[in-house]
Amino acid sequence: MAAARRLKRVVASQPGFLNFKSSSESLSGRRKRVNKNKKKSWNKHSDINDVEEFLEDVRLQERTTGKGKTPRPLRIDLILQQDSLIPAPKDVLAYQQPNAKKLRRISQKAEQLAAKGVVTRRQKRLLSRRPVTKEAKKSDTEANNNPNRDYYDIWGQEPEDWYLQQTGKKRVKRPEKLSDRPSVLPAVEVIAPGGSYNPDFFSHQALLKEAHEVEVKKQKEEDKLERQLAVNKDDTATEETVIREQVEGLVEEEEEEEDEEEAAHDEEDEDAEGGSSLAKKKTERQRKREKADKIKELRRLDSKRQMDHRQQLFQLRSIKASIKQQEQSTEDKQKIRKANQEAEKSQPRRLGKLKFQAQDLEVQLSDELAGSLRQLKPEGSVLKDRFKSLQKRNLIEPRERAKFKRRHKLKYVEKRAFRAIT
Amino acid sequence: MGGLQKKKYERGSVTNYITRNKARKKLRLSLPDFRRLCILKGIYPHEPKHKKKVNKGSTAPRTFYLIKDIRFLLHEPIVGKFRDYKVFVRKLKKAYGKTEWSAVERLRENKPTYKLDHIIKERYPSFIDALRDIDDALCMCFLFSTFARTGKCHVQTIQLCRRLTVEWMNYVVAARALRKVFISIKGIYYQAEVMGQLITWLVPYQFSHDHPTDVDYRVMATFTELYTTLLGFINFRLYHSLNLLYPPKLDSKAECELKEENEEDYALNSECYLEKLSALSASLARMVSSAEEEEAQLDQFPDEMSTNLGKREQKEQEAQKKLFDGLKFFLNREVPRESLAFVIRCFGGEVSWDKSVCIGSTYEVTEETITHHIVDRPNASTQYINRYYIQPQWVYDCINAKIVLPVEDYFLGVTLPPHLSPFVEEKEGDYMPPEKVKIMALQRGEKPAQEQEDEEEEDEDEDEEEEEDDNDDEEEDEEEDEEESEEKNLKKMEKQRSQVKVTPGKMKVENPERLEQEEKAEEKRLAIMMMKKKEKYLYDKIMFGKKRKIREANKLTAKRKAHDDAEKANKKKTRK
Repeated sequence: MAAARRLKRVVASQPGFLNFKSSSESLSGRRKRVNKNKKKSWNKHSDINDVEEFLEDVRLQERTTGKGKTPRPLRIDLILQQDSLIPAPKDVLAYQQPNAKKLRRISQKAEQLAAKGVVTRRQKRLLSRRPVTKEAKKSDTEANNNPNRDYYDIWGQEPEDWYLQQTGKKRVKRPEKLSDRPSVLPAVEVIAPGGSYNPDFFSHQALLKEAHEVEVKKQKEEDKLERQLAVNKDDTATEETVIREQVEGLVEEEEEEEDEEEAAHDEEDEDAEGGSSLAKKKTERQRKREKADKIKELRRLDSKRQMDHRQQLFQLRSIKASIKQQEQSTEDKQKIRKANQEAEKSQPRRLGKLKFQAQDLEVQLSDELAGSLRQLKPEGSVLKDRFKSLQKRNLIEPRERAKFKRRHKLKYVEKRAFRAIT
Repeated sequence: MGGLQKKKYERGSVTNYITRNKARKKLRLSLPDFRRLCILKGIYPHEPKHKKKVNKGSTAPRTFYLIKDIRFLLHEPIVGKFRDYKVFVRKLKKAYGKTEWSAVERLRENKPTYKLDHIIKERYPSFIDALRDIDDALCMCFLFSTFARTGKCHVQTIQLCRRLTVEWMNYVVAARALRKVFISIKGIYYQAEVMGQLITWLVPYQFSHDHPTDVDYRVMATFTELYTTLLGFINFRLYHSLNLLYPPKLDSKAECELKEENEEDYALNSECYLEKLSALSASLARMVSSAEEEEAQLDQFPDEMSTNLGKREQKEQEAQKKLFDGLKFFLNREVPRESLAFVIRCFGGEVSWDKSVCIGSTYEVTEETITHHIVDRPNASTQYINRYYIQPQWVYDCINAKIVLPVEDYFLGVTLPPHLSPFVEEKEGDYMPPEKVKIMALQRGEKPAQEQEDEEEEDEDEDEEEEEDDNDDEEEDEEEDEEESEEKNLKKMEKQRSQVKVTPGKMKVENPERLEQEEKAEEKRLAIMMMKKKEKYLYDKIMFGKKRKIREANKLTAKRKAHDDAEKANKKKTRK
């Protein structure tokens, strides 16, 4: 049935096809009853075109003229209007004031007196009281960081007892070593030219290379650690080795091997013994020979030494050259040592438990570079930079944040309810 | 007998050092107080050369101070103030605990405070010593003035830092002392020359702020305490050296200009004055003093200002100071106003901005005498005809190049040339970016026409090459000698040739071996010509060595021959 209806609809929708039912019949004839109590069906079966046209017209008028035909009053205003002829009752309690009469009388009296020019005793006392002048706190004005503090010429002609005035004590000489700077580094180190907000290609690449090298170094160290800790896969125990280990000394096949080994050992012992017995026969001869050899050796060495002495005369030039070389090498080493010492001076000294950790290079990658000052995103924190600079120049020692240590260990107690459960 | 024995660690370097905890106990201060005292007095820990000796045999890492320094600290008056403060804190806590609010009020009002003036005088006995250390002080004060006013560090410190930095900037503007500016990704570096000292400081960007947790704020606050005091005194002295009123007051003429109806919209009355000063758009009031005093101070002026510069350099400096004289700038909303206002005014220009941005604007957008309008957007909204619309980098580059650069490269929407660092001094052989080369050409006064530029670049390249060639000449001495000998040979040959007569030609049998040898020799010569410079250098050295050996061998043989001949002659004589 549905299919038939669908077919009819399709056929009817073809252009130029007359309906089965004539149009007049469909208009006056029985109309199918439709439920319009839900939004969907209402929207489907209502014709609101005329209303829409009217509203469009109104809106167009509003747009063009700017005000609209008639500014309709808001519904809420209409609701709040009083359209009843009977007025609402007045709420007396809302207007009541306690002591209103009395206060009114007092104020009227005061006005009359003021008009006459009479000043009451009470008023006289109030006026004669000292005004409250709120003084700035002494602690604030005398503090060192008072924003409105005064400065004076401290390097000018000072009075004799200026120090005594300031502090109440006599001046003590400052040790001379304190006037030495703790480091040769300058206070402010300007960043490399690659750190400009709009750097030129080569300097930026140089800075990137530096940062890259630092990273490579770090990576290398990590790799080194990994390598040292690495376990060789071959060393891990396989099942075979495990079984062999467990079975050692238990199986009887091993006895044959043991016999063979014993035989081998005996032979070696014999050889060794034989060797010693044979050696004993020759000992005296050996001693004599040894003595003769020794003397020969001594003589040979002596003659060699004398020959060397004589030949050194002809080797003078090469000797000179070798001496020169040695001197050169010692000079080079001295230079290197001095250079190292100089470099050490600019290094931060080891002042406490922690070593100085240099901060990362501030560098922006090529895709982070901003084309204009407006789009620049700053890199690094100047606060951290200054802090590290103070550490670098040996003014403060590197410290880490103090951890929160509990003096006494915390005790954990279960609640009664939990104790019942577990 | 036991007493006469020498004990270890009783003499030598051990007696010069003391550990931190021992020092602290000697002074009877807590650790944070001890650190504060050391920072304020300028006493730093030292690393002894032989740590093991000083540490009495152990290698535990300890912090060492010199005993003389600690003994010196014992006489310091503010140590007593620290102890008073500790007592105050204890009393305050008690009063709080007992909820005695009147006591709390009373205690708070009589809070013990201390002053650092005597420490400044002791650490920096002369003004020039103080000027040398001002770099650090400026950086810290600028840094603190950009902090947000939460309660993390005293708000008064932040206010004081702001006041001092504004005073310093006003001084630099009045003295026209700024020399270099560098915009980096970290912040803006400035360098000024004050009384012959070069002072570099770093100003962070206003809009960047992250508070890293591993920075010790107490330490930084202590440093700032010291540095604010120092900077204040230095400002006072500098203002007096320029004959300006301190605390600074705006010039009465300028103040009238700046007076607006809606001042309340910008700042509270109390802060209004500081804000106007910080706008840096007006000049400062001078001290009214008698004529004699002025003359005396004027006499001092050139002595202080003249350093070891020659006359020409002085002229250049004078010209640099008037770089933006007569130019009128207008800053758009999106450019960094403080930095640009400071920098432009330092070189004599006039600057203003939109009224709604900040207090202190002197003229509006519509003013017709504006010569440069600084915009940072890709396109400007309304274009006025007789002014240039440029990006802010032009100002900074002009300052670094010390001349007014052509504006074309900095128009809106144009890719800017790179911002080079003025703190880099390139030596002769180093790489110089082409932009710098261009700027140097402009500095020399050559016209920026492209052809000429190319020619100049070529010329400069040639010059550089020639310089490099000149450096190589030292190794070419032997070649020159050879050339001389060759010339002599040539001359001889010419003489011989002149004596030759025309005769019928003879057949010369060409030796194939000789041909081969000649070919080989030619190939060798070609190879030598084709070698790179480095290789040629090595080759020359080797050949020189070989030739030297040959020469020495020849010398020896010649000597021998001479000796033999002499002996023969003698023998003959004796025989005869």
